[in-house]
Amino acid sequence: MGKQLFRYSEENKERFLDSENITFNDGSVVTPEEIWHYLTVEAPVKYPSAFEINLYQGNRGSRDETLPTSLKTRYLGLTFSARMERAKDNGKSIAFIQGGQAVDPYTAADTIALRPGLVNQWNNGLEYGNDINKENLRRKKSKEKAFHDMSFEACQTGGYEHVQAGNLRIDVIAPYTVLRCSDVSYGVEAHRHGPNKDVKLLNVDFPLRNQADKPWAIEYFAKNLRRLVQTLDEVTGRTTTEGDLLQAIKLHNEGRRLGTELAELWWSADIPPTNSDDRASLVSLGNLETHGDVQASLSVLKEAKKFIAERVKNGVKGHAVIDNPKRLFILGSCVGINGSRSEDAGAIVVGRDDQWSHCSSLVEEEGDPYYNLAKTTLEYPYEQGIEKRAQWTIEQIKKSRADGVIFIHNWGCNTQAAISRPIVDIIKRETGIPTYIHERDLHGLRDEQEQNRVNAFIEML
Amino acid sequence: MSISGNYFAGVDVGSLAAKSVILKDGEIFATGLVPSGVNSVESGLNALNLALETAGLQKEDLTYIVGTGYGRVSAPYANKAVTEITCHAKGTNYLHPSVRTIIDMGGQDCKAIRIDQDGAVVDFAMNDKCAAGTGRFLEVMAGVFKVKLEDLGAIALSATDTVPMSSTCTVFAESETISLVARGEKPENILNGIHHSIANRIAGLFSRVGIESDVFFSGGVAKNSGMKAAIEQALKVTIVKPEIDPQLIGALGAAVIARNFSKKEGLWA
Repeated sequence: MGKQLFRYSEENKERFLDSENITFNDGSVVTPEEIWHYLTVEAPVKYPSAFEINLYQGNRGSRDETLPTSLKTRYLGLTFSARMERAKDNGKSIAFIQGGQAVDPYTAADTIALRPGLVNQWNNGLEYGNDINKENLRRKKSKEKAFHDMSFEACQTGGYEHVQAGNLRIDVIAPYTVLRCSDVSYGVEAHRHGPNKDVKLLNVDFPLRNQADKPWAIEYFAKNLRRLVQTLDEVTGRTTTEGDLLQAIKLHNEGRRLGTELAELWWSADIPPTNSDDRASLVSLGNLETHGDVQASLSVLKEAKKFIAERVKNGVKGHAVIDNPKRLFILGSCVGINGSRSEDAGAIVVGRDDQWSHCSSLVEEEGDPYYNLAKTTLEYPYEQGIEKRAQWTIEQIKKSRADGVIFIHNWGCNTQAAISRPIVDIIKRETGIPTYIHERDLHGLRDEQEQNRVNAFIEML
Repeated sequence: MSISGNYFAGVDVGSLAAKSVILKDGEIFATGLVPSGVNSVESGLNALNLALETAGLQKEDLTYIVGTGYGRVSAPYANKAVTEITCHAKGTNYLHPSVRTIIDMGGQDCKAIRIDQDGAVVDFAMNDKCAAGTGRFLEVMAGVFKVKLEDLGAIALSATDTVPMSSTCTVFAESETISLVARGEKPENILNGIHHSIANRIAGLFSRVGIESDVFFSGGVAKNSGMKAAIEQALKVTIVKPEIDPQLIGALGAAVIARNFSKKEGLWA
């Protein structure tokens, strides 16, 4: 029996067609008419899993039909794989990255930077016609293979299994060996096998925590950023200048400013203007990296801010958000809770710490761009010591008016597992807000065990 | 029997058993307990029907039903679903208002719950996703020693020694147990070790949420006297004696919540 698919309603088409085009890095443009056609005709056939009506899995982000940018982020997500293939066909360089950094240097060096999650997304999109079960089976299979090939379990190992297996045309592996992902970065270096085993590798060395006030650490890291750009230039054959990096910083600062303004606008609303998943997908545009295309992200972000402002002004509530939901702030790395099911249980996710940390960190535009970028990177609040990170998190929790905090981390993420307890203890001590720690099973499904704990926490609130 | 007043039911479908409690005028009127099958809807209905039959009621006589346990996600007979953590808190508070700390051990998980004077959850922690330290773990061990599950506790209490267990995984613990038997360790001493190993895991959960007197032990495993003794020793507490079958506490809490919800929704004054 076929699975029931969600379909966008024709009654919202006109409003959507009145919205703006998306402009891409290569100057190409896609119109709302083309996006609508893709989302209503092509995509449900290619990617039924994305449209499957499933109470337990998937998400309802992008099903807010009167919010055009919600549909556009969905469009960018669903076309991601095809766009990466096209980019490769056109000679674009693509880097595998990791470590929670901003992608300014990669943009400057005309290279698309993809984290493991996006690498997985690229690979997932190469196969058509899967429902949610088939899609999950596929993901589990690659994760199991990665585990056996690499002999250790950590988040997103499936991502570089695809690289090593030669499934994807990745030109360079260039992660930051930042503490939180150090085991994985070393894993990339240690376990090179398969047809793509000679892919270029650069581990960008990152001084350990609490060094942001030391000039030697900033200079050391700035040198590493220069090495990174040189390595990317060796792949592309071009020469990236300091001016290019400055331009990239300015561009990314624009995204970071807009992302921050959008988040603060959302937080200022008495009634949540979007559901959890739409909030996350729109705010995360601020880093301009989510969809592998800086300009496309920026154009949707600009428009999103306008729509959210309109909703906040008119008191419009996001799709499927209940009245007076309990507001959850999510901590940890790389993973979040199931927004839809948590909304069904009476909550809404109002923020996350992870990439928000560098979205809200602007880079100085005057002076040596390498030094400035290194300094800002070392100052990311998320990468600081426990007390400092906790204090920054408390500020975000207060700004977002969260009622409760869930720290969630992947099985195998040793750094986050180790610091979760002291971080939440500080938060609890200083705010009195209830907290909960959860370890995510690695297979990547949002299963009943996890949701049971989250729902119990929501009931407790 | 004349049908009058308001009846509220709670149905708790766990991994090993389905339980139901019907409340009338704030008092426990009937209960039902059946083994769970693979079909959680059917299991829940069986437990509910058993209680209805005992009470001489029809499902239509019930004003409100709350479903809980892992089967709650597919409980079409229920008006609302609530997690078993909240239900155990409410059920315990209903019977024992002085209790502030609950240990709940069911078929597939164990929970450390702290509650306030109204039975609201203040904090909680649960075991990891594996079955170590749960009813299923004990069921496997009963199978290894070919004894009845309900006799495990008494056997453990007859031990003269405690054999430490190194494995926390149910499957590995089973093979470790077989090795210990082959080594000549006495079954009662091994079982005592198993009970203490589980009790220590539970004590670990309480290091997160804290312990405040009085302490109550709910869930199917609470009927195991050896486990009760091991937990009392590990936590250095005395567990309050349950007024009803502790396996029914979740369903009782669900029935109490059903009563509260229906009042809130104006279904009764």
